[in-house]
Order: sequence, then structure tokens, then C-alpha cells
Amino acid sequence: MTADRIEPPVIRKPLRPLASILKARATGANPDEIARENLRLRHEQSRDKLRLRAEGRLFLLGVCFFCAFTVIGVRMGHLAASEPSEPRAQASGASIIAQRADIVDRNGRVLATNLTTHSLYAQPPLMVEPQRVAAELARIFPDLDEARLVRDFTGKRKFIWIKKKLSPEQMQVVHDIGDPGLLFGPREMRLYPNGKLAAHVLGGASFGREGVHSAEVIGTAGIEKAYDAFLRDPGLGDSPLILSLDLTVQAAAEQVLYGGMKLMNAKGASSVLMDIHTGEIISMASLPDFDPNDRPRPLTTGDQSDSPLFNRAVQGVYELGSTFKIFTVAQALELGQVNPSTIIDTKGPLTWGRHRIRDFRYYGDELSVSDVIVKSSNIGTARIALGIGAKRQQEFLQTLGFFEPTQVELIEAPTGKPLLPKRWSDISTMTVSYGHGLSSSPLHLAAGYASLLNGGTRIRPTLLRQSGPQHGERVVSAATSEKARIMLRKVVKGGTASFGDVKGYAVGGKTGTADKPKASGGGYYKDKVIATFASIFPAHDPKYVLIVTLDEPVETSGPKPRRTAGWTAVPVAAEMIRRTAPLLGLRPVIEPTPDLKVIRASN
Amino acid sequence: MSFLEYNLKTVPSGLSKVLYLNWAIILLLTTIASVGFLMLYSVAGGDMGRWAEPQMKRFAVGLVGMIVVAMVPIYVWRNTAALAYVMSIGLLVVVELFGSTGGGAQRWIDLGFMRLQPSEVMKITLVMLLAAYYDWLDLKKTSRLIWVLIPVMLTLLPTFLVLRQPDLGTALLLVAGGGLVMFAAGVHWLYFAAVVATGAGAVTAVFQSRGTAWQLLADYQYNRIDTFISPGDDPLGAGYHITQSKIALGSGGWTGKGFMQGTQSRLNFLPEKHTDFIFTTLAEEFGFIGAFSLLVLYGLLILFCVVSALQNKDRFSALLILGVAMTFFLFFAVNMSMVMGLAPVVGVPLPLVSYGGSAMLVLLLAFGLVQSAHVHRPRGRV
Repeated sequence: MTADRIEPPVIRKPLRPLASILKARATGANPDEIARENLRLRHEQSRDKLRLRAEGRLFLLGVCFFCAFTVIGVRMGHLAASEPSEPRAQASGASIIAQRADIVDRNGRVLATNLTTHSLYAQPPLMVEPQRVAAELARIFPDLDEARLVRDFTGKRKFIWIKKKLSPEQMQVVHDIGDPGLLFGPREMRLYPNGKLAAHVLGGASFGREGVHSAEVIGTAGIEKAYDAFLRDPGLGDSPLILSLDLTVQAAAEQVLYGGMKLMNAKGASSVLMDIHTGEIISMASLPDFDPNDRPRPLTTGDQSDSPLFNRAVQGVYELGSTFKIFTVAQALELGQVNPSTIIDTKGPLTWGRHRIRDFRYYGDELSVSDVIVKSSNIGTARIALGIGAKRQQEFLQTLGFFEPTQVELIEAPTGKPLLPKRWSDISTMTVSYGHGLSSSPLHLAAGYASLLNGGTRIRPTLLRQSGPQHGERVVSAATSEKARIMLRKVVKGGTASFGDVKGYAVGGKTGTADKPKASGGGYYKDKVIATFASIFPAHDPKYVLIVTLDEPVETSGPKPRRTAGWTAVPVAAEMIRRTAPLLGLRPVIEPTPDLKVIRASN
Repeated sequence: MSFLEYNLKTVPSGLSKVLYLNWAIILLLTTIASVGFLMLYSVAGGDMGRWAEPQMKRFAVGLVGMIVVAMVPIYVWRNTAALAYVMSIGLLVVVELFGSTGGGAQRWIDLGFMRLQPSEVMKITLVMLLAAYYDWLDLKKTSRLIWVLIPVMLTLLPTFLVLRQPDLGTALLLVAGGGLVMFAAGVHWLYFAAVVATGAGAVTAVFQSRGTAWQLLADYQYNRIDTFISPGDDPLGAGYHITQSKIALGSGGWTGKGFMQGTQSRLNFLPEKHTDFIFTTLAEEFGFIGAFSLLVLYGLLILFCVVSALQNKDRFSALLILGVAMTFFLFFAVNMSMVMGLAPVVGVPLPLVSYGGSAMLVLLLAFGLVQSAHVHRPRGRV
């Protein structure tokens, strides 16, 4: 913009109008007088104009001031009139506390709740006797250092956290010190009343952002973290998060697993008990465990999978060994390539390129398909797998969920990603057929067994209580599912898992013993195994699937140390079924004769 | 016109100047400050020593400083305006380099006996310089582009330095203060229209840039804006201040709970209850009547300033008085709006009431300038 537009040139009255000058000269007056007078007039004119403008501006500003005053005044009145209630202060204070929803088991028993407690902080400027306070505090809390407290209290700091959580007794004693510089702030604290029970599922919680008057409680692991936003949603009201776990069964399972782990000298163990139709995880345990009330720190060195925080059932991916054979056989049955009585060549060793596949011991030159499972023949399974082929095998395992992490509602679930062969060659097909070269978590195995044996529909494991069975996509026909169940029952009745027979509960299952791969890579340990027993019960009408995995077990009652699952994982699983089946509401029954069913199925 | 044109004979001299001070303004200032002492006493839970007493001492010092400043002829202040401006800029640079950090921002220089916030000083020296500039500038040139750009630069330089601290509130006050002086000086309104339009564009840009690599504001600044727009979303976090202060205001009702009876602020619900949010205590304890009375006091103060400016025929004096009055107005208007949820929380104290040394001292010295302009105003026919 130019000045011309702002102040357009005015046609100004000349300072020395000729007529006036001439007239002045005629009268003898000084013409300069006229010019001076005109100049003065012109100045006054322009000053008046500017003054007018300035006053206009001022008026505008005045209007703005007035408007601002009015707005503020009206707002004041509005606030004064419309929000009269004092209790709102208290109410809003209370809403800060008790914000996180409870977590309960499937029967409504509390797994995680909140406890109102207090934190302790100090404001040194208000403190009367810093020396005495420091001494008293050091006496009450032996973990505090008196010298350091004195330094803090007498130094320049104006605010110091002393304790994040106080018990009521501690609070009383601190209160009795009676110094105005010691102050308490309300705290909501997460409490797991059952201690270590279901620790890996629950995970834990800690304080997030902290203020004097409240602190956020945030989930740090497990379902607490996975459902953090949900649990903190104020819209939830008082309704808790209902899990599929059964507290009683979980307690029994953990107890048995712990005993079994000690008895079998294993360094770790895990178990998953799942409803075969709904996919609800009734109990899930991983040992060693921890107390979520006092969650240990993550390991800073070494293997994270040795940490008690590590959830072996979900995060631990292991080669699960011969438990996989039933998938191979079921697929061959489904494809119509074999039936349970088809004879398979089990002459060994089976040589394929540089690789040789052997059996644990010699089972004869040929076995029926059913006996390949019962005796757990690697050679027989590998031969069946060759007939299926790599592509179809991959597709089948994918439909059973072995290619993706489980979608279970734990924050750790995505880390339990199965390890697949890099290049799926024919030798991979053969080793995967009996559970080597593909690592997956025990929960994957539970889901795979459930999908295969519940009648043949896909199950996705869940930790939330469900209202009815999952209607997943079909993975095998009902007939194949039935044949697989009968084979698994035979494994327990007279095969590698004979210790697993629990009278009245018709257990069916498959053992798996896999050599542990060396951590440094390259080869397997000769004396370290992962022993797994994957089972269903009752086999004729399956209700539950149970996976028990022991890490480096060794059973030493015999002349030679025994490590196979049949001697280690199976007895533990049997004891677990014996203890939990009544809790699950199953009654011991006499099982129907399976042979009749075979005839009916093959018709 | 310049000071040489003053009819010096009619301007009071010597100690008799005291009689010519604008006593109404001094009375109003003292009343407002007394409200502050009362509130600080109450907020400290009936403790004089904690906040009220230091505040009183500072006010006394400030009042003496104000009268000393008022005694000095106004032309001295006009002639030193540029120097004061340069020194303030220097202080801002010093604070940038060596200042101590408080509340996440680098704002103070520790002088030992008090903490000096150069950004406070800057607000006043900027007004001084702009007033002197327009006094010096030929009236006809007021709206020419080049002569408009100079004061714009003079305003933006300290704004930029303050933004680096970072102190968004003060930066906004600087821009608003500078702009208002220019407006009062008579710069053509089209410039302001252009700035408003650009500002609207800039706000859009700021919000569009959020979350991208070239994000223009810090995250906490965005949070404050979010909180302003809907404080209920995050009642424990950034919205806490506003929610709690609104509750306090509401709980005061029309007549309030009575002196020392406020719970919200006394029970530590409110952070910064003795500084930026002291208004909530007043509103809670004295209700709408008390809060509105304070507003009226502020309004009267502004009114007296405007009247004094209108009486004053010296351009520098008039602009200076108006500038100080407008800076003062911006202070309390922004603070009150912020506390009542009409503006985002930007950290502006309630002038003369909030606890804080340098803000009060600087404001009182600024009113010293107003007094000086009033005392030394040209009298008689010009």
C-alpha cells in the first residue's frame, strides 16, 4: 500500500493567495502576516484531523476494553451462578481414586483390585526439626539412609518423595512424628490379593504420572497392559474385566506344575488348560513365576527367557517334537491318502540327501498309521509327510495358526512368534512333520490341538470369558477329528504316554521330546530336552485340552537318567488332570468302546 | 511537538510535584495490592510470613520507586527510551545464555535479592520506545510502509527472544502491547487487517503442522491449546488447573464462603494457587461480588489512565500512558480469562495480586512513568 492511498493529496488553500497579498499591499499591511496566519490555520487543521482520528482510535479501544470487561464479568457471574456446589471438589477428587477397573476370574473372584493407600513426601521449608525427623524416618524405614535424609531436609530442595506406598501402620507411626513438613498424599495402588497366582496373565501395574494428590496406575505387562485403556475407561463404572481363568483350577494347576518341575529337576515349566470348544484359557501357568504385587526388574544381562517375568506358555517358542505328528497324520487322513490301518514303511534310517532320520528305537520294518502315532515313529511320519508335500503341509499348519503369533489378550503375545524354516525344502517337510525345525509356543500347540480334535473347527485362544463355543472355520472333517482322537487315546492306553491314563477321564494325548538347540547356534544338546505332553480329556467327548511343557527335565529314579516326555511331562499332566478334572465339573465315566465307533466312522 | 514547546513555567517543580501526582491511580494501585496481600495471607493458611509479608515489602519498595520515577521529567524518559530498550534486549540475551531455569523455561536472572525477569521489563521498555518513536516520527509518515516496518521489527525482536525461552504468554503480550500502541498512534487500519488475516493463516499452519516433522510449537503448547478447547478430556493432566479453578469459582457462588474459608485452594487442590491462579481463591472466598469488585478496581485504574492520556497534549506522554494501561489491561484480562477457562493457560500473573517480585516491581515503575507523564504534562495554551 502506498502513502497516496492513505492520505490522498488535498487541494490546499495557497499560503499566499494573490488577491489577499495584493490587497494587503494596497492597504500597507505586511503580506507575510497573512502567510503566517494561513500557515497556522493549516497546521491547526491537520492537527485537528489527527486528533479526531486519534480520538476515534481511543474510542475504539475503549469499546474493546468495555467488551472485554463485560465478557469477563458475565463469565464470572455465569460461573458463580451455575456451579454452586462445593461437594464437586470432593467428588472430582474421589474420581481420581478408584479409577482402574477390577479384574475377576470366570466366577467373579477377584484377581486384581485397588487399594487406597498413602504416599509420603516432605516439604523441607515447613519442617521444624529436620534432624529428628530424619532419625525417626530411618528408624521406621530401615531402607532409608539417615544421613541422606538430613542432607535432603536441610538442603535447598522444597519437595522430596520419601515413600510411594505406606501401610496404615507405617502411616500412623510417621504421623506420630508430628512434623508439619511430612505430608501424605492419597494413592490408589493395584493389589493382587492372590499373590503369585496367574502372575503372567495379570502382568502387573505401576504408577504412571505422579502428583501429590493422585497418581495414575498404569498396566506394565500382561492383560493389565493389553487392556490398559479399557481398564481405565471411566465409562466402565464398577463393572470388572472378566477373564476366562478359573481361580481354583489355576491354583491347582500351578501347585501340580511346581511339584512336577521340582520332581523332574526341570529349570522351567509351563501349562495351558483350555476349553476345547470355546477357546477359553481356564488356567495358564509359567514357572518360575513372580509376585505381580512386587514385580521384579527385567534382566539386564543374559537370556530374557530365564527371567521369571518370561511367560513360557505364550512367549516361549520351542520345537515341540512328536506332538506335531498327529497334525501330519490327520492331514493325510483328511486328504484320503491313508486310513488308520494303512501300513507305513518304517525301515530306517531314512536317508534324504545329507540328512538321516532315525527313530528313538527300532519299532519294526512296518507299522500301521495308528501305530506310527502310538509308537511315535519319526520315519513313518516323515514318509507320510512326503506324500502330503511341502505346500499342502504349510497351508494346513497355517490354518491351525502356527504361522502367526497367537492373538491372545496379552501384551506379550506378539513376541511369541513361531520360528519357521527359512526355506521349506523336502527335508523341512519331513522334520516339521515330527515337530522339529518349527518352533511355536505351548499356547499355539493348545490351539492347534483344540482345532483339530474338537470336531475340526478352528479355535483361537482367548483369556476373556466367552458365552458360547467359537464357530471357527473348518480345518478337518469331523470324521478325521474323531480318528485322530482315537489314535491319541491309544497313545495313552498302550503307547508312549501310558503314565497319562487317569481312571475315569479317558485321557488322550501325544508326547513330544525335542532336543534343545544350542544357544550359540549349530546343533542340538544331547542331554537337554523340552518335554511336552499335549492331551485332551475325555477323549471320546473332548472338553478340555491340556499342554504341559517341562524345560530340561531329567527323571533319575531309574538306573539311567530318563528325559523323554513319557517319563517326565506325562506324569505331571496326569496328576494335573486328576486334580483339576473334578474342579472343572467332570465326573469319572466308563468310556464307550472305541472300536465300535471306528466301525461306525469307517462306514 | 517536542518538550521545547512546553510551557515550562506552568509545570510544577521540586517537591511540590508530589502534590500533582495522580493520587487516584496511586490509591487504586494500593487497594488492588491490598487485595493481593489479603489473598496471599489466606492462601498461606493465615501465615503472614510465607507470602504476604515479602509481597508487602516489595510493594513498598515499588511504591517508592514509582514516586522517584514520577519525579523525573518525562522528557528524560523519552530521551532514554531507546537506551532502556537496548538494555532490555541485552538482558534477554543474557538470560538466554546464562539464566536459571524455572518451570521448564529459562526466564530469570538471579540478582541475589530478587529474581529479575527481563521479559517483564521488556514489556514496558517496548511501550516506551514505541511511544518515543511515534512522538519523533513525522505525523504524515505514520502509515508509510517503511515507517510501519520499523516498529514491527522493534516488537518482533524481543518477541522472538522471549519465544526462545520459551514463554508463549509473554510473547503474545509483547505482540499485543506493541500492536496496540501502533494502533493508538494512528497507523492505518489496513495494516491491522492484514496482520489479523496473516495471524489466522498462521494459526491454521500451526495446527496443520502438528504431528509432522516441522511441527511449529512444542508438544506441551499444543496440549495447553487442547486443554483449553476441552479441559474435561484430561482432568488429571493439563486440564487439572482449569477444571479445579472453575470448581473453585463455582463453589464461591455470589457472596463467597468468607475470608479464609476457601477449601479448594487451601486444601492444595490447586497448584500455583499463590501465583497465576490466585484469582480462584478470591472468587471462592468472596464470591462473585469480591471477584467483580476486583474487576471494577482494574477497570477504574484503566479508566483513570485513559482520562489522563486524553488530558495530556504531549504525544509521547499520551502514548506512553495508553501503552502502560493497555499492557496492564492485557495482563489481568488474560489472567482472568485463563482462570475462568476463556483462554488457554499461558502463565500470565494477575497484576499486583499474584505473588511475584519482578512483575510487581516492573508494573509499579511503569506506573511511575504514567505519573511522570501526568505531573509533567504541558499546561496552558500550546
